[in-house]
Amino acid sequence: MDPLGSYKSIISARATDKRILKRCQDGGIVSAVFIYGLENNILDGVIVADKEEGFRPVPKVATTPEEVLEAAGTKYTVSPNLSVLKSAIREYACEKVGVVGTPCQILSLRKALKYPVGFRHMVDKVKLLVGIFCMENFPYMGMRIIVEELCGVRIEDVVKMDIGKGKFWVYTRWGEVKSVKLKKTHPYEQSSCHVCTDYTAELADISTGSVGSPDGWSTVIIRNERGEEIINKMIEEGYLERRPIDEGKFGLGLLKKLALVKKEKNMKEIEHRKELGLPVPPDVCH
Amino acid sequence: MAQTVDITPTTRHEGHAKLILEVDGEGIVSKAYYINTTPIRGFERMVVGRPAEFVPFAVMRICGICQTTHGIASCSAIEDAIGCEIPEDGRLLRELTGLGSRMHSHPIHHLLTLEDFVKPEEGDLKIEIIKLIQSMRKVGQLIVDTVGGEGIHPPNIVIGGMRTNISERAKAKLYYALRQFEKDAYRMYEIYQELIERFLEEVGIPDLGSHDYPYIASHTTYGDREAINWDGIVEIPPHRYYKDMKIAESTSLMIPLYEGVPAEGGPRARLVKFGNFRSGGGAMDINIARAKENLGAVYRALEILDELNINGKTRVTPEYRDGSGIGVHEAPRGMNTHFAEVGREGRIKSYRIIAASNWNFPVVEKAIEGYPHQYAEVIMRAFDM
Amino acid sequence: MEDKITVAHVQLSSCCGCLISLVDTYEKFLDVLNSIDLVYCQTLMDAREIPEADVILVEGAVCLEDHHALEVAREVRKKGKTVVALGACAALGCITRFAKGGQMPKPVQGSFSSLTEIIRCDMAIPGCPPSPELILGVITALIKGDEEYLKPFRRYAVCKCESCGCDLIINVVNKSLCMGCGICSASCPTRAIEMVDGRPVVSPQLCVKCGVCSFQCPRIEI
Ligand SMILES: Cc1cc2nc3c(=O)[nH]c(=O)nc-3n(C[C@H](O)[C@H](O)[C@H](O)COP(=O)(O)OP(=O)(O)OC[C@H]3O[C@@H](n4cnc5c(N)ncnc54)[C@H](O)[C@@H]3O)c2cc1C
Ligand code: SF4
Ligand code: SF4
Repeated sequence: MDPLGSYKSIISARATDKRILKRCQDGGIVSAVFIYGLENNILDGVIVADKEEGFRPVPKVATTPEEVLEAAGTKYTVSPNLSVLKSAIREYACEKVGVVGTPCQILSLRKALKYPVGFRHMVDKVKLLVGIFCMENFPYMGMRIIVEELCGVRIEDVVKMDIGKGKFWVYTRWGEVKSVKLKKTHPYEQSSCHVCTDYTAELADISTGSVGSPDGWSTVIIRNERGEEIINKMIEEGYLERRPIDEGKFGLGLLKKLALVKKEKNMKEIEHRKELGLPVPPDVCH
Repeated sequence: MAQTVDITPTTRHEGHAKLILEVDGEGIVSKAYYINTTPIRGFERMVVGRPAEFVPFAVMRICGICQTTHGIASCSAIEDAIGCEIPEDGRLLRELTGLGSRMHSHPIHHLLTLEDFVKPEEGDLKIEIIKLIQSMRKVGQLIVDTVGGEGIHPPNIVIGGMRTNISERAKAKLYYALRQFEKDAYRMYEIYQELIERFLEEVGIPDLGSHDYPYIASHTTYGDREAINWDGIVEIPPHRYYKDMKIAESTSLMIPLYEGVPAEGGPRARLVKFGNFRSGGGAMDINIARAKENLGAVYRALEILDELNINGKTRVTPEYRDGSGIGVHEAPRGMNTHFAEVGREGRIKSYRIIAASNWNFPVVEKAIEGYPHQYAEVIMRAFDM
Repeated sequence: MEDKITVAHVQLSSCCGCLISLVDTYEKFLDVLNSIDLVYCQTLMDAREIPEADVILVEGAVCLEDHHALEVAREVRKKGKTVVALGACAALGCITRFAKGGQMPKPVQGSFSSLTEIIRCDMAIPGCPPSPELILGVITALIKGDEEYLKPFRRYAVCKCESCGCDLIINVVNKSLCMGCGICSASCPTRAIEMVDGRPVVSPQLCVKCGVCSFQCPRIEI
């Protein structure tokens, strides 16, 4: 099985802008790409996951760098980013839209681009698909249980959440760090994630995540010319610094391993559901 | 020798219809029947018992060319019924959506009538005009897409106002698109005028398709229920209007009358009532009036962009109560009226629609009479059915 | 050069919006007209009788109380090599699902069925209306014979799909398949779907039964 889908190259990279690094999840790739796009007329609107009270995600059309920054950072719960796709091309009148999404969201958007039944005049306006790696997501209250019950942190106090080194981490505004083993968070995962076999957003133009790179850096999978062009320009112009990806066990090796783990585990679940006579996602998802 | 000419189906217009013409020995139409054979999907009855919010979405689907007008008329009928005032910016955006719709519908009508006036050997001219039409339509539909939410069946038109305002970027984009439309519309007006003049000269009947019915119009660019004497309007079944029962039973239309007679609605009616356009001329005047209305539409649209506050409120939450109301909007084809009776819980108790084309069906018949039968369809199309 | 495929457009009980959607390809519309041989389209041209054609695009539902409509439906099947139910009214019924008659002056007309229920259709396309780009895509695929692209529409013609927003709930949310992407919500032409807690909540009073949301969902096999 091909763990990462098709791609042109893989690098480690990090944003150079301090404002981004202060707010982003890992290397700030997503925010940096979007801000670069907006500032250089490559994009005129981007769809991101902002948040409101209680770490509730809110999909949003951002048209300024400030709005992109505000929405930086991972929300470990479902943010239906594609729900504002229409707004972006209608009342916002964007013509060069960038979208960030989990692998399933990227796949959903690719399908819509191929079959835009309900999307009048959209296809030529979506210019960049940035995918983020994803093993699984949590329903909103699932995330709250992890934060409040497993880690014992008031949701209002949370400034950042993260997954890494086998644990779910919660950072508070008082400077505290709490964590819980991922084994304990499994019961709170979204069950529909268990039939998804895409870890690295294989259909994106650019995919990024933390796995495979040192802390504070991101692994960036450049999948096609569109993605290559923007990443190269950003490196040339100093918006991103890059280093070669670690090809070893804790770099690319780990990324491939996790991608395969997801595929194998979830293929099993798909088979299991089939045996039970339950419907499974169409081929396009496998 | 008298004969009957049957044109089934008539072409280059929306819907299904046929013309039955009684023609005298000289080929002149002595009696015309313009029969709408479109099956009735029954929107008036479809919405009864349903929540008011459903109505605009349902009735838009009466017509895929001028959906916007039905959306606007239905919302304002229901708002009138429940005493709901919509915010000023919502009203402006609504009017703008309606104008966008007009700016695509009028050009599409130019497209449908093109073959009547351009000669087969004028292929290049035809292509130039089609390109012009598509360029104009693109702007019209951009407005409906952006402000209305979808170019076909715009869902932002909702009871209480408009679902959302537009962004600064959107406003700028519309401004530049309108400036392009302005140029195209002048060119179109010129072309159309020349084509029609030539056509009438060749036909040799300057007043082709004239009739002596009055005009009906409520406003130039939007719709104004205060401008119409509603007591003067009745709608009668075709059984009462046509002497010939077979004809009466075949048509799908109710016949609206103003002060007891049919009345013409549409571009000419509006320009005569609210401007100084020539009244009483032939039906080809309507084609010219239509091309002229493109200009009125673009100037009003630019004015709206100027007046619009993009941070303004566009919608209020409707509070339902018993009542009945009238919503009127000037569709591309003429005055479109919806009458709604709403119950306390927001359900529709009764609903009636007098669509723009309803007015013009009996007028078309009259306009065809007295002229050579081979021009029947050309006259009919001038009314944009 | 190969002969162009012949295409006819036939309108039954519909609003004509599907045809307008095709015309909304703007400058590309002339290219479309050049790449096919349009042999019948009552709204745009003078041909008054439906000829034989490689492809007949039919929009609209069939009124069972209109003899003529039933005849047209049968004629279309006879004359079209490929019959495409274009748009939700022909494919699924859409707004005509709410029709029940009673309106003057023809109170009897009140039973509307989708074209797919009346004749065998080779393809069906949901949407109210389907986007210009989608219709263009289908026409291009038909010209090229790109069966891979057309597959979902072939299946859609025979799948006896229901066409309500509630399908999403039954087929996706209830089946542990919805992951909350939100594409269904964006696709809905009446904005009947709101995402709450990462799941679609459909307002049945706004749904016109166009089938788009389910078609667009990546987690349903069409
Ligand atoms: C549910 C989930 C699970 C993940 N699992 C892994 C994993 O197993 N391994 C791994 O390497 N990486 C994983 N990631 C990705 C990782 O957490 C970072 O989002 C990614 O590395 C991008 O970081 P950045 O610094 O480049 O982005 P930033 O500059 O911080 O930007 C992140 C962007 O993603 C958007 N976003 C945030 N949350 C969501 C969401 N829930 N849905 C859609 N968009 C969102 C934000 O609005 C922002 O624009 C996961 C992300 C999510 C949302
Ligand atoms: S919910 Fe919307 S998209 Fe889904 S069938 Fe109804 S109208 Fe169509
Ligand atoms: S389209 Fe996305 S959000 Fe909607 S039902 Fe399907 S998976 Fe869920």
